[in-house]
Amino acid sequence: MNQADLSKLVSALRIAVKPKPRLFSCPEGPAGRLKKLRATVTALVKYERIELNYPRAEEAQGYAERLISDAIRNGDCHKHTMEMADYWLNEKQLVHKLFKVLVPRYQNYNSSFTRLVLGPKTYPGYFAGTAILELKGNPFPALQPETHNYHYWLHNVLLEEAKKEFRSAREDRNAGTTESVTAES
Amino acid sequence: MLRRAVLQTFRQGLAQSFFKRYAVSLTETTVTHQPIETSNEAGERSVPTQKTGDESRNTVVVAPPEFRFMYPEFLPDPAMETRNRLREKLERMDMLQRRSVIEIPEFYTGSIMAVTVADANSPNKFARFVGICIQRGGSGLRAWFILRNVVDKQGVEILYEMYCPLIQKIEVLRLERRLDESLLYLRDALPEYSTFPLDMEPERRLNNSVVPINPLKVKLRPRPWLERWERQNLQGVEDLNLPQRFYDKAEKVAKPWEKYDLMLHYRKTIPAEEQEKIFAEVHSQLQQQELKRKLRRRRGPDNEQ
Repeated sequence: MNQADLSKLVSALRIAVKPKPRLFSCPEGPAGRLKKLRATVTALVKYERIELNYPRAEEAQGYAERLISDAIRNGDCHKHTMEMADYWLNEKQLVHKLFKVLVPRYQNYNSSFTRLVLGPKTYPGYFAGTAILELKGNPFPALQPETHNYHYWLHNVLLEEAKKEFRSAREDRNAGTTESVTAES
Repeated sequence: MLRRAVLQTFRQGLAQSFFKRYAVSLTETTVTHQPIETSNEAGERSVPTQKTGDESRNTVVVAPPEFRFMYPEFLPDPAMETRNRLREKLERMDMLQRRSVIEIPEFYTGSIMAVTVADANSPNKFARFVGICIQRGGSGLRAWFILRNVVDKQGVEILYEMYCPLIQKIEVLRLERRLDESLLYLRDALPEYSTFPLDMEPERRLNNSVVPINPLKVKLRPRPWLERWERQNLQGVEDLNLPQRFYDKAEKVAKPWEKYDLMLHYRKTIPAEEQEKIFAEVHSQLQQQELKRKLRRRRGPDNEQ
């Protein structure tokens, strides 16, 4: 049983966080793992939509969300947040982008800031397949079509009414047959 | 049909009794972030109770930010695999129940405390121990702290579980903090740093709103030590004066990237929104208990007269 670490206040992330991190195999060992993830997070902030292998995408999603949530919570005058932004973003103009573009964009979000979509899995290829990691609110066309289905759309209204008519007709038919049976007996 | 109705009323009764104890949680609305909290290693306490949420009609009373330092055992163990919200809620209820019976004061690592435990084998049936708190841990009802003292030139450490029913009294003789969160290096320090008189009187605090940080730097005995202190970035220890090869090896073995590992920090802590929720649940009862104790203390000497 351990006590929670109280030295930093972190915002709750709105993505599913797995209990254990993935350890990527790198020639440099554990130091190299963060170096690779840094490159991924920098690319995500720079291009706003990247296609890569699924395990790396999932890990990088966590780090990107943490960085953005820290930036929103603490702002750019906070020493620790600025140190993290400086470490995680290899290109320094992206630090400006983080605080001046992404923070106002995500200020009032109640959902996660990134979206992870499974990509094509080509045979023979990498077993886990590819994924597309994107920042929400990006200027590109949506990856997945919007699948809304509202009850007040005309065709849905007509279908509901047709269903009700069919069911009431069936009940009348059943009532008619039972009456005739009771009358006979 | 009758069985279903009975079950419904039973469930309602259970829910009602549950909610009566936690009426605060029902009035929770979105809580605005407090800009005053400390996000580094915390120092002093700021002004107590603040009110928020004046945007909506319900004003939500939120616990002051320093509650997480005063009552860290109310926060659950951050390991995701073992978390169970219902068990945590029940534990918090039991913790408050125990706190209504006995006073568990605010203390930190480095405070000097005296604990009285019921002991069947001692002549007085009570055993009292005075010592400095060198470490505290655990969460929920299993929260513990270790007191250290040197008695007859023998170092003694006792681990007390804060919510153990055998504990009769916990007094804080001197409330202060040190430069480190864990004072395990006192085991390798000169004995005078761990010696405290067993009949020590509680000291009066000069300033009630701020917990002082004792900047004492402790001298260690010559090697061998129980741990490699040079690898632990201790603030409260004097210069170790080791040969350079120790520091070189420490650098080789160090993991400087962990400072930047955001997900590692996330997995080791409870997010702020959850902390606020937990303390909002618990804070009103804790405050009521404190008020009652203060009144009893004021009335006590008057009644005796």
